[in-house]
Amino acid sequence: MRAQVSRRTIFAFIGPAVFGLAIVGIAPLLYAGWTSLHFFNLTKLKRIKFIGLENYWSVLTDEVFWQAMGRTFFLLCTALPLQIALGLGIALILHKPGLGLLKTLARLSLVLPMATTYAVVGLLGQVMFNQKFGVVNQLMGGANVNWIGDPTNAFAMIIFWDVWQWTPFVALVLLAGLTMVPGEVEEAARLETKSWWVVLRHVQLPFLLPGLVAVLILRTADTLKLFDMVFTLTRGGPGSSTEFISLMIQRVGFRGFDQGLASAQAIILLIITIVLAQIYIRVFYKEV
Amino acid sequence: MKLNRLLCSVALASVMATGAFADDSDWSYKKAAEPYAGTTIDVVFLLRPGYEAIEAMIPEFENETGIKVNVIKHPYENALGEQVRDFVAGGDLDIALIDLVWIGNFAENDWILPIENFTSNAAITDPDLDLDDFFPLVLDAFGSWNGTVYGLPFDNYSGLLFYNRCMLEEAGFDGPPETWTELKDTYGPALTKDGKYAFALQSKRNETQSADSFARVLWPFGGSFLDEEFKSNLNSEESQTGLKFRQDLMQYMPDGIVAYDHAEAVNGFAQGDVAMITEWSAFYSTVVSPDTSSVADCVEIAPEPKGPAGRKPALGGFSLAVASQADEAEQAAAWLFIQWATSKANALEYLERGGVPARQSAYEDPALADKYKFVPALVESWQDGVPEFRPRFAEWPEITEIVQEWGTKMMLGEVTTEEGAQEIGSRMETVLEDAGYYSGEKPLAQ
Amino acid sequence: MNTSRSLLWQIVLILVIIAVCVFPFYWMVTTSLKTQIVALEAPPVWLFEPTLQNYREALFEDAVLRTLINSLIIAVCTTALALLLGVPAAFALARFEFRGKKDLWFWFITNRMVSPIVLALPFFLIARSLNLLDKHITLILIYLTFNLPIVIWIVTDQFRGIPYDLDEAARLEGASQFTIMRKICLPLAMPGVAVSAIFSFIFSWNELMFGLILTRTEAKTAPAMAVSFMEGYNLPYGKIMATSTLIVIPVLIFALIASKQLVRGLTMGAVK
Repeated sequence: MRAQVSRRTIFAFIGPAVFGLAIVGIAPLLYAGWTSLHFFNLTKLKRIKFIGLENYWSVLTDEVFWQAMGRTFFLLCTALPLQIALGLGIALILHKPGLGLLKTLARLSLVLPMATTYAVVGLLGQVMFNQKFGVVNQLMGGANVNWIGDPTNAFAMIIFWDVWQWTPFVALVLLAGLTMVPGEVEEAARLETKSWWVVLRHVQLPFLLPGLVAVLILRTADTLKLFDMVFTLTRGGPGSSTEFISLMIQRVGFRGFDQGLASAQAIILLIITIVLAQIYIRVFYKEV
Repeated sequence: MKLNRLLCSVALASVMATGAFADDSDWSYKKAAEPYAGTTIDVVFLLRPGYEAIEAMIPEFENETGIKVNVIKHPYENALGEQVRDFVAGGDLDIALIDLVWIGNFAENDWILPIENFTSNAAITDPDLDLDDFFPLVLDAFGSWNGTVYGLPFDNYSGLLFYNRCMLEEAGFDGPPETWTELKDTYGPALTKDGKYAFALQSKRNETQSADSFARVLWPFGGSFLDEEFKSNLNSEESQTGLKFRQDLMQYMPDGIVAYDHAEAVNGFAQGDVAMITEWSAFYSTVVSPDTSSVADCVEIAPEPKGPAGRKPALGGFSLAVASQADEAEQAAAWLFIQWATSKANALEYLERGGVPARQSAYEDPALADKYKFVPALVESWQDGVPEFRPRFAEWPEITEIVQEWGTKMMLGEVTTEEGAQEIGSRMETVLEDAGYYSGEKPLAQ
Repeated sequence: MNTSRSLLWQIVLILVIIAVCVFPFYWMVTTSLKTQIVALEAPPVWLFEPTLQNYREALFEDAVLRTLINSLIIAVCTTALALLLGVPAAFALARFEFRGKKDLWFWFITNRMVSPIVLALPFFLIARSLNLLDKHITLILIYLTFNLPIVIWIVTDQFRGIPYDLDEAARLEGASQFTIMRKICLPLAMPGVAVSAIFSFIFSWNELMFGLILTRTEAKTAPAMAVSFMEGYNLPYGKIMATSTLIVIPVLIFALIASKQLVRGLTMGAVK
């Protein structure tokens, strides 16, 4: 039974948080909405003028914007399956009985990539993937791969770091799911079949699903937000090959100084995010 | 005698008019700065040799004047954004650091003040300021906009051809290429072998792409960004010849040249992997220092090669101007610092510490050419050049983004030079249209 | 035979996992101990004479120390503020019935999904007009946009797990809801609160974009500083890695302390 309390009490508890988040979360959005309807260039503040939906029209018809969007989802569609596959593998390895100390050590090292400052990951990437003095080419037996200067390789490099940083997350989430499978159920299944696949598919999978859903939601959101690591690693280059949506908006707004256009882009991105979040959360999280 | 007295009275009159007691003969920074001692001035500096040179000298200025110089260091790529944000926010910067392509923008926004505001005040103006001593092209391109001087040239560049004499000699050349075509057709194949490359053209997608790569192949071939009506000239035959030349030249450059910024190009040259680069004069100290270069003894310098339209070397560089947002004392202190940093008197020390002054008098001594091999080529390059090598109007920050994006796509072969030029052209024209150039609202100045 | 071979495989694979996770850090630290010339050697060298010069330069000449302090101040304050606002809200969401609760919760959580660039543009303009640029308070406030959702998500979940009959007695004695939260529920929810605090700290400490756009000198954060060494003229790799090491060490320590709860925190309670 839940407490019946007065409106005033409710407001006293929840008001400050709502108020706080409204100030930092909603006020800027309203302002962005206003800006997006204007010609608003930071270096031409004398010439601000209302132009209706022109900025939106420019964004919606600009192939560069949609290419950046497509690139962002392409990254999600390539990195996420890798993360899930590798993460599942790692979780299964760590789920096997025995080797207590070594497994603890592994679990601790899995924590490190996730906590690393994203900008630092990009800087590290610059050092490790340099064609000449980078250690990655050295470890590949003195290969001469041009990582940063080739569009395809640069994209692969971004995928690598995304996978490096977030596979541990997927692995730990799935491991947590695996430990929730009741021991006797799993043992019974193992007596019936030797195939780990069958055990996984029919016994463990149901316990993994909530975790996978969470991974899907968070990775989608984080890929749309992806900025720091790419900014410090390739700045979107070479050409536009790693220019993801958040980088592109930053470029338009703070390098081209066209805040009106950038605000329109940001609002369109926000709408896409909210629609996706609505779908995900409403479908998968019903209970409050 | 009489004349002397006359001059004296004129000087006195001008001094009275400005309300200060100064006399040509005993004007000094110390005296001029007396009312402003204790003032702090904020300025953005880059992480480049010319700034390190002046930073080492700043204590002298501070001791003499009592003015404190607060240096905020930024990489070039952030410097524009940082300053624009500071100016629109009414921040702390008292001096604007202006790349030549920002000057139209800063001037139109009234973020910087014409030097006339200060030169009219004899109390704070160095009698030895001598604007005519600056290379006219440099003062015009780096410091002036629409006929008004705003900034004094401070960190000055011209594009130069750096070449590795040893590598060229080994391949049978006793001198550098005279023309771009010669560089590509004769030097290119001869010097590109065994993992070494004839040439590297820094082309990273930032200002480097527009300034060092794209514009560099337009002008010598007779191309340009804009025609007389301010419409795109990039699809003209000349511009296309230049852009196609660049595509063709890429076979003699290292892979991934589109990811090369200055650091990579200079490193490649300094490690002996690349025989020739066209780089800014400012890199001289890097490539001849044994600490950073393994080919220091082989470095020679020539002016950039010629194209069918003549020698049109890249032009770049920075001036310092007083920011309008500073208060009166800060403005005066800033003006004193700017004069001091770019003064005739300090030019040689600045040069010795690794800077490149824009004072003609600094290069008069013929012995300098032995010590600083870049001097003859630099002086030659500054005799005549194209001030609008990159258009300097207020719209450049938007246009350069477009050039960077499509210029690199062109180099990667994702679009043809024609398609790329078409994209840049139409996007550039949209920006110019919005700015009011076509409706006659704005004069066609670049 | 079969099992011992599979055990061997397991050991090998676990060692590989550890190596892949840890190697970049090893490389970061060793590069930070190299001079520029050694750092640029090709192929890279593994044995060399280490120097602390990069750290000396970064910490004292380039004022990285100050940016680390700024980051610390900002991360601690924003975390405290997020807890102050978030914990009561979480309590209400977990224990009170009211209309629109679901939408409110959804709104809180959606903030976690919003790309910071969406807020960075307008926030910059607002901060400019309120003269709040380059101030600690600005970052402390804007970081609430991702810290508050974390706190609310995790702590709401924690409060929901606390049985009602515990506070029944207190309620009958006439204790206010606030007293119930503070005296009875909060102590029990402490693990969740601690985890959310650690997360909030880590996220704030790691943040780059707002730091880059909203600060200049006074409130400049450490990640923004690390990025500012990237001049196209010359990249001081050793110094960049030294700065990176200084930035990363505190979060890694925090993450290891909270490693058990980390997953729960990152998924915001989705996996229990």
